[in-house]
Amino acid sequence: MEFSELIRTGRAQAKLLRGPEAPPLRGTLCVTGHHLLLSPGPQATSDLWLLLLRRVDSIEKRVSGDSGTITLRCKDLRVLQLDIEGVEATLDIARSIEALSSLESVITSFPFFYRPKGLRLGDAWHFHPPERYYKRVARETNAWRLSEVNEDFSLCPSYPRAVIVPRAVDDDALARCARFRQGGRFPVLSYHHAPSGTVLLRSSQPLTGPQKRRCAEDEELLRAALAGARPGARGFILDTRSAQAAKQARVTGGGTEAKAAYPGWKRLHRPLERGWPLQESFVRLVEACGDLEQSMDRWLSQLEACHWLAHVKEALSTACLAAQGVGREGACVLVHGAEGTDSTLLVTSLAQLILDPSSRTMAGFQELVEREWIQAGHPFQLRCAHSAFSHARPKHEAPTFLLFLDCVWQLGRQFPLSLEFGEGLLLALFEHAYASPFGTFLCSSEKERCLCEVRTRTHSLWSGLNQPKEQRKLRNPLYVPNPLAIWPSVELQTLRLWQGLFLRWIRPPEPSEVAWEKVWQIVTDKKTEGCEPTVSASEPRL
Amino acid sequence: MCETQAFFPGTGICKELEDRALLLWLTQEGAESLNRSFHVLEYCRVSSMASAPTSKYNSHSLENESIKRTSRDGVNRDLSEAVPRLPGETRITDKEVIYICPFNGPIKGRVYITNYRLYLRSLETDSALILDVPLGVISRIEKMGGATSRGENSYGLDITCKDMRNLRFALKQEGHSRRDMFEILTRYAFPLAHSLPIFAFLNEEKFNVDGWTVYNPVEEYRRQGLPNHHWRITFINKCYELCDTYPALLVVPYRASDDDLRRVATFRSRNRIPVLSWIHPENKTVIVRCSQPLVGMSGKRNKDDEKYLDVIRETNRQISKLTIYDARPNVNAVANKATGGGYESDDAYHNAELFFLDIHNIHVMRESLKKVKDIVYPNVEESHWLSSLESTHWLEHIKLVLTGAIQVADKVSSGKSSVLVHCSDGWDRTAQLTSLAMLMLDSFYRSIEGFEILVQKEWISFGHKFASRIGHGDKNHADADRSPIFLQFIDCVWQMSKQFPTAFEFNERFLITILDHLYSCRFGTFLYNCESAREKQKVTERTISLWSLINSNKDKFKNPFYTKEINRVLYPVASMRHLELWVNYYIRWNPRIKQQQPNPVEQRYVELLALRDEYIQRLEELQLASSAKLSDPSTSPSGPSQMMPHVHTHF
Repeated sequence: MEFSELIRTGRAQAKLLRGPEAPPLRGTLCVTGHHLLLSPGPQATSDLWLLLLRRVDSIEKRVSGDSGTITLRCKDLRVLQLDIEGVEATLDIARSIEALSSLESVITSFPFFYRPKGLRLGDAWHFHPPERYYKRVARETNAWRLSEVNEDFSLCPSYPRAVIVPRAVDDDALARCARFRQGGRFPVLSYHHAPSGTVLLRSSQPLTGPQKRRCAEDEELLRAALAGARPGARGFILDTRSAQAAKQARVTGGGTEAKAAYPGWKRLHRPLERGWPLQESFVRLVEACGDLEQSMDRWLSQLEACHWLAHVKEALSTACLAAQGVGREGACVLVHGAEGTDSTLLVTSLAQLILDPSSRTMAGFQELVEREWIQAGHPFQLRCAHSAFSHARPKHEAPTFLLFLDCVWQLGRQFPLSLEFGEGLLLALFEHAYASPFGTFLCSSEKERCLCEVRTRTHSLWSGLNQPKEQRKLRNPLYVPNPLAIWPSVELQTLRLWQGLFLRWIRPPEPSEVAWEKVWQIVTDKKTEGCEPTVSASEPRL
Repeated sequence: MCETQAFFPGTGICKELEDRALLLWLTQEGAESLNRSFHVLEYCRVSSMASAPTSKYNSHSLENESIKRTSRDGVNRDLSEAVPRLPGETRITDKEVIYICPFNGPIKGRVYITNYRLYLRSLETDSALILDVPLGVISRIEKMGGATSRGENSYGLDITCKDMRNLRFALKQEGHSRRDMFEILTRYAFPLAHSLPIFAFLNEEKFNVDGWTVYNPVEEYRRQGLPNHHWRITFINKCYELCDTYPALLVVPYRASDDDLRRVATFRSRNRIPVLSWIHPENKTVIVRCSQPLVGMSGKRNKDDEKYLDVIRETNRQISKLTIYDARPNVNAVANKATGGGYESDDAYHNAELFFLDIHNIHVMRESLKKVKDIVYPNVEESHWLSSLESTHWLEHIKLVLTGAIQVADKVSSGKSSVLVHCSDGWDRTAQLTSLAMLMLDSFYRSIEGFEILVQKEWISFGHKFASRIGHGDKNHADADRSPIFLQFIDCVWQMSKQFPTAFEFNERFLITILDHLYSCRFGTFLYNCESAREKQKVTERTISLWSLINSNKDKFKNPFYTKEINRVLYPVASMRHLELWVNYYIRWNPRIKQQQPNPVEQRYVELLALRDEYIQRLEELQLASSAKLSDPSTSPSGPSQMMPHVHTHF
């Protein structure tokens, strides 16, 4: 297939409106295989305007007289309006965008063509493999080993090649465990808490089914996990479904760990919203945020009706519970829901942020995202296929990763000094998870990434983000390492709507960016020694 | 515990202890450990439902151990040897009570009552709880239970405070044990009803700066470039005979004679004639404040008043219409005609345009805040937090006040028109609107001293009835005159400081400190209703100003991110989306709502302040150096072209 088949028209004259603040742009509009370009013409001072077509979430066209209007709603929640001369041109461009923005093929996507200056292919791909994390665990304890039993992804297609498992369990036993867990996701180590010696594990649900099947190897694996922590250690199984939902899952072959089969383990149920209801909450929130006409007196109850903040609260408090088990009670905690690729990862990754100071650094957080989301098999390709505007029938979309980012943002707001990264990094991750020139968030598992040769043929987002020029935007100037656990308040009164994301394109350019810049100036003033004495004088906003 | 030791007499040490103690509950280890242990409790509760025995795991917790250490070895032990006392503060009594903490349950403690405060320290070894409550904060004291009532802790006192909390103490039922505590508290919390002086008159604290000198009206008007060709300073109200609720010194149009002023006064409610609050340094449009005209049912007119407003309009030649903002909702303004008030009609005032700003009266605001308290204290509304918050309408009122002030500021800054602001009497909503508009327009008021001057000028000197609205020392807790108008203003300021994190020299603690001493009666600043009453009571001679406390320790109240910007007009976004409940003030008593441990944050802020000062100093040196090189004056950076008004009106 050639992109040119999908491009119905080369170019048209258009005016672009980018929200209430930015001035409109006029110029020649042009559709290419991956981009929408607007070239303002030779006499104009402004640069070429470029939009990655994958970023378009929904497209709406209207024609009147001899011109047309296309409204593009993007996955990063921005709304753009294009006024185009000529009805035919409008319809052609709309159709081209529609076709090109919904291409499902991974290997023809833009990351496979993106070759930015200053970056070398394959540069950052070795940054964060599980081997690296295992080295850290091995320094702390002997009870765990790195297993390459999944080398060819045959045991579990959604796990990486190497996983960390109890030393006492051999690869054959792991193979049998894998057959007992949905999707082959047998319990693996997610985090080792060195101060208490206990661990956080994750898996998918056990396939007990209606006959309440058992698996000796699986039971042995969890027993070994407890023994590895400390003789007599207890464990909690944190099921992210309600007790009833877990029970019902037996009908379809799933289920949950039977009490008698796992001595020392105690099961807890913390239902977290997932799938379609979560996506719907996201859609409704974005709708409410964009609804400028409506009387604002109802804003707070609208916000409440979306339940988004309630989901944030649930996610954070479940993560606190897991973190408390590991960090305070000296217990091992196994987290799973059904597939173990969504709310499970939400809980394990947040619990680590709460407990582990090193995951709150710039590098540590990137490693956490890579290890606990990307390599742990969160199906980004499916979950982030569409954002909040799409009219397409949703299939597998769910903003689980966005919910994670929101929770991290809340942590950062409550602990303004304890995270080395700032809102900028979270916004960048949100954007790139949904549409990106980089390959990091492509595909749904390591196996798929291998098949598509993502590592050798695309650039890693991490090498993009870790360029020196990006740092000011991404880092928190106020960071001071905090060796303690950070226990957030999970009350609704302390949680806030993440304005920087949800109202990003709606609010006027508030001075927050200006303020961020000022803080940087104050903190890094040594570097600005030579700069002109106009910095503190009146700085009109443009 | 030895009591003579407890009331340590050395003033120097007392001063320090007092400072520490004041902040302790809010900011220091006490609150932190409480907060942490509360979290532990919270999760204990969560997981004890899941079985785990609750007592075991605290001992495993690293964080917890370090907290225990701080509370054992830190400040708290010093305090156990002395109860803070201000110079001039005398001890009245002490008693063993049970403090029924709404968050952690009953705590046995000893309460000390002085003529200034109620101080409680826990007698339990595992609790570092300290309560330090100025008696001025108390709005109501009730007895709960009777001599025969049953149940644990059912007999005692219930104290309602003005600062969003209640205190409840249980006492032994035998021998009327609460009677003397009740009587003493009533006596010293409500001194006016017992012919006792308010504590501010007894306070003998010494500060190295005198806050009473912060505001000098002549200087402030001179800073604004007044008097000028069109505006003069008049002493007609020197002995408060023109208007007893106005300050002695007023700025009026040059072309209006003193006789004109007297005639206008007859037509304005309580003689509060239109006088200048602020003048734009470049376009010379003005903000003028007053009370409603006495139109009445019959639609009376007054030629002098009409002429006077026209004279105000004509102080700026380019203006064809004077804009009048009536802060009230239209219907209220009409209803006021029945009691002799009203508003400027189109027929009578040809050259004026009138707009209503729909801000509700003091009673609506009081009820709204009451509803806020209902949902945040003692228990925070859990299930429908946001819609409950919405139903208090508090943020909506904030929005209307801010929206009104933005309109005033925009009119003036655009040079389109001068603005006259009034409500009914011109001392509540009017003060809110003029002072907020001035804060948006004039960066001077965003400094610490500038803000003090703003409060002193627009609120204190122009007769916001602090005594009636707050009820200092008065026992009549249900007085219909009480209303949180000033609190609402401070809330609006806080909302602005949230939206413009680098624009204000002061921090959140500055605002909270002002509010704390709005009630505390430790300083004379907010006492009495107007300047004439204050003069009669010789407040400036006999009491200390709150600004003395603040200005002698300014660093504590500074915002490390402040960047001075001359001439920048701030337009906050007054949309519900961008307003939030001031959790750190309204829900500050609830340990579950606390945010990051304050110590590292504050320490970091102090470091940043130091860095910033260094930076500014270097900048000044550079400026000096460069201006020495270039003696050309046209390169001076503060040209008028930098006036950059940007209005974002997303209401």
